[in-house]
Amino acid sequence: MDSPAAHRAARLQQLLSHPGIVRSLLPDEPLRPARRGGAAGIDLTVHLTSYRSLPLSCIAAIELSIDAEPIDVNRLLFVLQGNEYRVADFPALSAVWWFILDPAVIFIPRDPPLSAGAHDVAATLVTVEPYMTAGRFAFHASAMKRLTVDRSNQVSVQ
Amino acid sequence: MSTATEFRVGVTLHSFTAEYLASKWSFEDMMELCSYLGGGVEIVGPAHQRGFPRLTHEFERQFKSSVERYGLTPTSYGSYADPFTLVDRDFTLDELADYTMPQLESAVNLGFPVVRLQYFAAPIVERLMPFVEAHGLKIGYELHAPLTLESARTQQLLEQITRIDSPLLGVIPDMGIFARSVPQFRIAAARARGVPEPILQRALRLWEDDVILETALPELLGMGLEPDKVLALEVMWGSFGRSDPKGLLEIMPHIVHMHGKYFSIVDGDEPDIRYREAVAALLTGGYEGWISSEYEGPGDVSSFESVQAHQTMIRRHMDDYHRSRH
Repeated sequence: MDSPAAHRAARLQQLLSHPGIVRSLLPDEPLRPARRGGAAGIDLTVHLTSYRSLPLSCIAAIELSIDAEPIDVNRLLFVLQGNEYRVADFPALSAVWWFILDPAVIFIPRDPPLSAGAHDVAATLVTVEPYMTAGRFAFHASAMKRLTVDRSNQVSVQ
Repeated sequence: MSTATEFRVGVTLHSFTAEYLASKWSFEDMMELCSYLGGGVEIVGPAHQRGFPRLTHEFERQFKSSVERYGLTPTSYGSYADPFTLVDRDFTLDELADYTMPQLESAVNLGFPVVRLQYFAAPIVERLMPFVEAHGLKIGYELHAPLTLESARTQQLLEQITRIDSPLLGVIPDMGIFARSVPQFRIAAARARGVPEPILQRALRLWEDDVILETALPELLGMGLEPDKVLALEVMWGSFGRSDPKGLLEIMPHIVHMHGKYFSIVDGDEPDIRYREAVAALLTGGYEGWISSEYEGPGDVSSFESVQAHQTMIRRHMDDYHRSRH
């Protein structure tokens, strides 16, 4: 009953039955009201769309809209491991790695704040996989999701 | 009666990409699963090693404790050249060496006997040899489509390997170069991407006729293939090659590791890759290294059970080969 073989088989079944999440550029995370750099706005969680970590210099573009209204990417802050970056600086950030399992946060300044309730978020991430035999290719990955503002969890970074 | 050579069958964590990205399996979960799949483990540097290309103390402990706990054997470390990391230009050779060396150091410190190189590393490989020789590390260029055995790039690599003439420098053939057909899921994906049927059929014909991508693509664009759909067809040339598995015999002395790439197992066999012939060639040639099962098919398949089926298939081909020799 409790033989090593039975234990191993049971352990395997346990591993195989682990639940996962649906991996998406836009995970099922709420929009969080936030203050960063003295501005009010919201934090949006995003996942890298490659299968591997990439340096930020390989993030060729980010496109975002909320309720079909395009967001000016030059106003965003991209937050990785607590460090804030400007999208315009990405080309120079070849030493800053976005680890494949780490979510990043995109801070979107909003004044007046985004209303309570659900919003349609659309995003596109353009990556360069920096090793394709055929040369430099940009990969476009897009997602759309209805996400809800969560006011119980205000983020404040001055 | 054959000499009873055997090679060993392990797995690359790349097979578990869908589950890893979905947080179904952590790094340590995947390491544990390797203990059910032959015990040989291969990793992909930038996918699994936090801190890549450098080795952190934390990852070293994470990896080594898993190896010890589950009784695993590190087989091959997947290094990357990433020559297009910078936006405005390719890596210089100094930058390429600076990017590669910490990866070789990572592999040595993690206990890997072999490092997979991308062919981009060829111009700096002589700079790597002193380190490789000092540590007895083997390095091998991956022969992955479009680098079929016959391709000009592969021939150049083999010339360099012959010239440098070190047992520590060789090749890692990817089984995807021994395709007999393009997997159905790739054809379906091209259709779903909106590639018109006549262009798709022509692309398949060109691929079957061994027309290289550089020649095929202008014709397909001339037929009206839209630029944003090129990748859906490029992947045929970038993933599947049409080399004859018997060619493994000619490069056998240079093989330091094998990538058991596959896309599906149907009724116990890989329908698109010539595994039976490749296994026979490896056994005939006396290959005694590892082959890593490398699943790269659709993400909605249970990769663990798929790898099990792949390894069962390889062992069946091995048994059939030995039986045919008695």
